[in-house]
Amino acid sequence: MKNAKKYVSCLILILSIYTGFSQGLLIEAESFDVKGGWVVDPQFVEQMGSPYLMAHGMGVPVENAMTRVQFKEKGAYNVWIRTKNWVPGNWDAPGRFQVKVNNKILKNVMGTTPEWGWENAGKVDIDQDEIKLELVDLTGFNGRADAIYFSMEDNPPPSSAEKLLEWRTTVLNKSESPTNIRKFDLVVVGGGIAGCAAAVAAAEQGLKVALIHDRPVLGGNASSEIRVHTLGIYGNFERILKNLDTKHYPNGNPEAKIDQQKRDTYMKNIENIDLFLNWRAFDAVAEENTIKYVDARHTSTGEEVRFEAPLFVDSTGDGWIGFWAGAEFSYGRESVNEYGESWDKWGELWSPEEPDNAVMGSSVLWRTKETKIGKTFPDVPWALPVTKGHAAENGEWYWEFSRNDLHQIHDAEEIRDHMLKAIYGSFSNAKKKKENEKLELEWVSYLVGKRESRRLVGDYIYTFKDIKESRNFRDAVVMEDREVDVHFQEVLTDEGMPDFLSKALFYETDRYYIPYRSFYSKNIDNLFMAGRDFSASHIGLGGPRVMNTTGQMGAAVGFAAAICHEHEVKPRTVYTDYLKEYLDLIESQKNGYMILRKSQK
Amino acid sequence: MKVTFKIIIFFLYSQISISQIIPFQIGKHEQEKIFDRKPDYFKMDWEKETHLKSEQIQIDSDSLDLQNIDFLTDARDHPFLYSVKISTPVCADGECRLMDIRFYWDLLGNYAGFDKIENLPLTKYEHEEFSDADYLKLHQLLQDKNSILGERSIDELVEEPAESSLPEGVDALSGATIAEVKGSTIEGALYSSHVAWRLANGDIREKLKEHTVSMLNEELLHDLLYSDNGDYQFFALKNFDDNMYRKEYNRVSEIFRSSIPLTRKYIIKNLPDFFWDEEELQYKLWEYFPEVDLGTRSLLLDHLECATQSAIEIISERLEVLTQNQLKIYLEFLKQNKKMVDPEVVENLKKTAISNEYAYSYLVQKFLIATNGY
Repeated sequence: MKNAKKYVSCLILILSIYTGFSQGLLIEAESFDVKGGWVVDPQFVEQMGSPYLMAHGMGVPVENAMTRVQFKEKGAYNVWIRTKNWVPGNWDAPGRFQVKVNNKILKNVMGTTPEWGWENAGKVDIDQDEIKLELVDLTGFNGRADAIYFSMEDNPPPSSAEKLLEWRTTVLNKSESPTNIRKFDLVVVGGGIAGCAAAVAAAEQGLKVALIHDRPVLGGNASSEIRVHTLGIYGNFERILKNLDTKHYPNGNPEAKIDQQKRDTYMKNIENIDLFLNWRAFDAVAEENTIKYVDARHTSTGEEVRFEAPLFVDSTGDGWIGFWAGAEFSYGRESVNEYGESWDKWGELWSPEEPDNAVMGSSVLWRTKETKIGKTFPDVPWALPVTKGHAAENGEWYWEFSRNDLHQIHDAEEIRDHMLKAIYGSFSNAKKKKENEKLELEWVSYLVGKRESRRLVGDYIYTFKDIKESRNFRDAVVMEDREVDVHFQEVLTDEGMPDFLSKALFYETDRYYIPYRSFYSKNIDNLFMAGRDFSASHIGLGGPRVMNTTGQMGAAVGFAAAICHEHEVKPRTVYTDYLKEYLDLIESQKNGYMILRKSQK
Repeated sequence: MKVTFKIIIFFLYSQISISQIIPFQIGKHEQEKIFDRKPDYFKMDWEKETHLKSEQIQIDSDSLDLQNIDFLTDARDHPFLYSVKISTPVCADGECRLMDIRFYWDLLGNYAGFDKIENLPLTKYEHEEFSDADYLKLHQLLQDKNSILGERSIDELVEEPAESSLPEGVDALSGATIAEVKGSTIEGALYSSHVAWRLANGDIREKLKEHTVSMLNEELLHDLLYSDNGDYQFFALKNFDDNMYRKEYNRVSEIFRSSIPLTRKYIIKNLPDFFWDEEELQYKLWEYFPEVDLGTRSLLLDHLECATQSAIEIISERLEVLTQNQLKIYLEFLKQNKKMVDPEVVENLKKTAISNEYAYSYLVQKFLIATNGY
């Protein structure tokens, strides 16, 4: 653990990455020395190419981001910014900002062109070896900057994703693959409740574990950055999960910060876990159906590390590790007949006759506060096409968005942005009411809290039928009492409703059990999965998708990894050859942990 | 004290829902077996001169036990409604009073309305009679089949009173209604609301629907399809075979235009293949493309490969209704099917490309540039 801290500290010292390129100089915005009020947003790297800086000021311009840039060559440079107008339309772009060089504002306003691309901020004469570069937010409404390129040429860098990647690799002088290679017994990718529990369980058993997470804090949807409370029971893993869960406060509540502290403190004190916070995995390579390594990149410095291990856990939520490695996965709703998942009361809303790509949506939570002197809130004409007349003072779980032309992974930025429009527009409408004069936005998340995305296919696909029948399995390792809870967009049954509100359908049930076979990949033989990407049908996911249950999955997987490590076997063999030993381990760990080190055999 | 409270609530509630529903009682209407006036609270249309005959059927359900139910038919002897008069105790704080009410259900078992019973008003806590507003609220909450009243038992809907607040010797006291449920109940009548909801929305619904299904024939399907009731239309569509779709395609397309997004999507996903092979049939759907909801448009765009020229033109006329992803799908289709890009489509693309109102006009511009403006 100490080593991990030291390692992360070293990386933080690498403050900016930029490389001289004859006549050009590229600065990644997320590597700025001082972020000011701008936040690093790494959520959409797979779609737009990079983490970026975002001016998330809830309508109040944020403090400047600043960095120092060294030049090898003096001269006149065009300053290109990779940015976007996130709400194109017949109004002033909401996310406008400017660039300042050596305290002089460049003339052009940025954030005005639809889609990610290069905008010209202006021209500067560089006559010093080092300059001060700043991003100056003009609106507080989520202006975004991915990169800044100083160029003596008049043409912008390439815009298409493929060419941009190639160009970036060249300009930044990146090697084709990470040269920093780290070896572990288990690599867990994704530090939500499931990933944390997996890391703890395996580490307790003596495995050397890497936990890779793309945010500064752990907990995923339960974190203080997203603030969804945990639900469900602890099952066999109370000892671990009570250190990771939350109280049952209203969603979006700042009490999440207290639970965050509890979780972070707990995780940082577990031996054998190397915590890689602010690292985002970007590739996983399998040979003959076995993952050899996962590559990850620091979300600010851009440094890359290759993680090698005999076993991996995909707790990314989106099933990225499985996806990159070629694991089978599913997305959307199966036909009602595929697994016999009908519920006549709700028919098509529950499970359709024909399969489709509908999934439960993503939430972005928010809250307001009463102040002594209420500030005015800027007009947001760009949000009103989404909200129309809808007014609200707070968000809750039913602030949820899913639409069949948007994919929860590929279109996640648009989904997040749609929710921001919904929030700002609804608050703006609420603010017009006399009684809300003194109301201000206190907190708006900018992270997408997803419910459903890719589901990796395991040896067993868990379905509604298993729940209805309370089917017990000889390899049952996770259990839950909570109702099956499947959401649909309200606009489906009432066209007059805003498209960002959902309704829940609850199916009351007795205790149900999930088998271990749903937690490892069917075709990638060293890949576990825990969290919402476990092996389930759309309806099968409806109950166990809450975070104490996914935490159980994580812990179950962590202990399974210990059995794999002990016997040098793959996850499937735990089921076929070591099930009793595995179940005994789960039972025995309840009162304290027992280390199964090889040396003690 | 805590244990006693819960046990008594449970005991009283068990009595309500299972064992003490007083069997059907014959009243004025029942003797005549004619229902010719709109129920006091009713969510369906009721045409003047409606004259319903009643036939008693026996339905066994968990929520109502074995009951004689009035199966109501219209002048043509076509099934119309189900109804039953109920008298059942509602107990709170150790005291029970009867709830007398006549419920109505539609042919799919959905709650449709209720009648007050003469001289037997519904009452609230401490015997206060329901006001007109209370009756109306009851009617509204009974229509919500997803109500929290169905998800929770009665003891989950009240906050248990603090022990110190309970007077000596009191075994059960109705606690305050939990905040979450306040919008789903009538103030001072949580127990009545809960009992009424469970009776109206219990498994009797499924049993009544089963009865309707047992009588299903082409005539009844036709009635349901031509009804203004969206649930009936949906039910009819779900029971259609390919021939019915062909025979009723005019009505199907009308429903497609006027119904809710859920029904539209069902239609698009479940249309027989021949719909997409015949110009006249599919035109009926494409002509509503600009009007229907965004999700349905996405499903229609899944059928671009078999779209007719007229469909491609209809879309080109109203490109501004497309989302970014939908526009990309359409433009990609044009790119791959150049023969379908006729002068009318090109003209519409050019108009959209210079529009200030459409957020994605720049994509159309790019497309025209990439294709040399056709």
